[in-house]
Amino acid sequence: MPSPPAASRSAGAAAAVARRILHPSSLLPPGTTSLKPCLRAATTTTTHAHTTTPRHHLPASLPIPTRTSSRPYHSYSHPPPPGPFTPTESLLLAAAYRHVPTHGFSASALALGARDAGYLDISPTIVPDGVFSLVQWHLVTQREALAARSVALFGDGQKGPNVVASRVEALAWERLLGNAEVVWQWQEALAIMAQPSYVPASVKELAMLADEIWFLAGDVAVDPTWYTKRASLSAIYAAAELFMTNDRSLGFRDTQEFLRRRLQEASEMGNVARSVREWLSFTASAGINVLRSKGVQI
Amino acid sequence: MAVRPTQLRRALLQSPSRLRQTAPNTIQHPELQHLLSAAPSAFSSACPFSSTITTRTQNTPDYAVPNPSRPTHFGFQTVTEAEKVERVATVFTSVAESYDRMNDLMSFGWHRIWKDYFVTSLNPGFSPLTSGLDPRAPQHILDIAGGTGDIAFRMLQTAHVVNGNPDVRVTISDINPAMLTVGKQRSTLLPASQQAALSFVEANAEDLTRTAPLSPPGTRTPAPTSTIPDASVDLYTVAFGIRNFSNIPAALREAYRVLKPGGVFACLEFSKADAHPLLNTLYKEWSFRAIPLIGQLVAGDRDSYQYLVESIEKFPSQAEFRDMIVDAGFVVGGQGYEDLTGGVAAIHKGMKPRV
Repeated sequence: MPSPPAASRSAGAAAAVARRILHPSSLLPPGTTSLKPCLRAATTTTTHAHTTTPRHHLPASLPIPTRTSSRPYHSYSHPPPPGPFTPTESLLLAAAYRHVPTHGFSASALALGARDAGYLDISPTIVPDGVFSLVQWHLVTQREALAARSVALFGDGQKGPNVVASRVEALAWERLLGNAEVVWQWQEALAIMAQPSYVPASVKELAMLADEIWFLAGDVAVDPTWYTKRASLSAIYAAAELFMTNDRSLGFRDTQEFLRRRLQEASEMGNVARSVREWLSFTASAGINVLRSKGVQI
Repeated sequence: MAVRPTQLRRALLQSPSRLRQTAPNTIQHPELQHLLSAAPSAFSSACPFSSTITTRTQNTPDYAVPNPSRPTHFGFQTVTEAEKVERVATVFTSVAESYDRMNDLMSFGWHRIWKDYFVTSLNPGFSPLTSGLDPRAPQHILDIAGGTGDIAFRMLQTAHVVNGNPDVRVTISDINPAMLTVGKQRSTLLPASQQAALSFVEANAEDLTRTAPLSPPGTRTPAPTSTIPDASVDLYTVAFGIRNFSNIPAALREAYRVLKPGGVFACLEFSKADAHPLLNTLYKEWSFRAIPLIGQLVAGDRDSYQYLVESIEKFPSQAEFRDMIVDAGFVVGGQGYEDLTGGVAAIHKGMKPRV
């Protein structure tokens, strides 16, 4: 589990160091480029994956999506590290992703994508995890697309405790809708993610999604609820995703209701937990005070 | 290699005039001309003088042009590239007969699992079902240093039987006719359709423009008659062979030349298990104490197996070899390699990009 972001970090110096260590631009000669450290360039990643161009009109080489953060928390003072895909992988996976709605997360989709991009049937063998990389491509691009949708949904409006809760629901719903195009293939994808060697990467991606949603919703808590919020949202999201694969209602209305009920329950549970904690701490301190009044040295 | 490619590159960058002069000097060097005329058979496969020199542009760095007099390593000894060609030939001629049996003994049969995994992960012959007339695309696989056919036979099995694509042919290339002869004998046990898809050629992997058909044992190697053209291969594989090459950068550039755009270079080779100290200690003890002994007892040849373990030790680490592949123009996915059994062996893959 990642640590909460350190709120009191001296931003300037740390950012300069991190930029040297982490950022790809540090490999370039000084002065060639300077990227804003906090820039979250999530908007550019998915545009190519979603456009559907007729096959014979495809350009000889597809544009390569730029890649961003794979860090488990958000930072204003550190630039995002490079993403999990190399440019070549991005190119092959973006092309293959167009075939997922018809061919599923399969070797066929990878090979057809490679053909579209002007490569050979054998070319996708260099993608390290094969079909799991294709699933990962879906997860990462959808997650990174949330930032743009969040701006479209909320603008830069005011934030508050009530607003955060409703935004979490809206964003989780937006993300679920990202699965709509491939929902027929999603059980297959879940099966791939459940293969033992891919479980750690899948769980990590889920944790990053939960973090992304809380971050975009404007949650700034740095207390232990940082963990419980993310853990409960991860569980709810995973359950809703599974529910959605069997949802035949119009516009996935049942899934939306399901999501709303689960989040409601979680917030009620949170209230109950808070009340119990308050009662316990009051009772404990009162009990200690009673003992002290009796002369016990505590 | 005595000097690492990066160091060489740095040296060349510091003296650009040397780089410009390199290619013409290599051809006109009087000593080399003399060597070439004096011992044509010994150097014919090591010297890329005839037609390749035109395809190797001036962009090719100095260290990637085969040079028979440049020092390289043979196990823990330092020899010239030409000497290494001869001594490696001696080693493999000596071990050819017992090669497969020895592999089983040395690795407890584990090399079969590595090879199976290597071929499965490449999935040769796989073609998606489409609505076109013939959905299956033909593939040409070039198995370099494929001597006894271990990789090639598995490729054919996967392509023809598992993936049902008979339009896959495999060329087994090896510098050593003794190893090829063993492979040729073993191939007679394959189904006829698979035998028909196989071909055997003698060639030096550093210069695939000069290939010769397999000659019967005991006869002189015939003159090179054919060539593997540019951009003609879908999949180039080399399993447990590349560490014996005299000039690995040159072989990588030759692989780049023969591959089609999108074609894949795949290498299975012993590597470093440094990340697992305990495993590494056991592995080193086994290779330096037991393997030469087994070689002496079973194959009656200690020196050849001493060379084998020393050559493994001298081979670059996973990341260094990945950098050499990238330096030759390939692109890689992820970190560019996959460790097997904690890094005792590793699979490197690279793709020739479209330019």
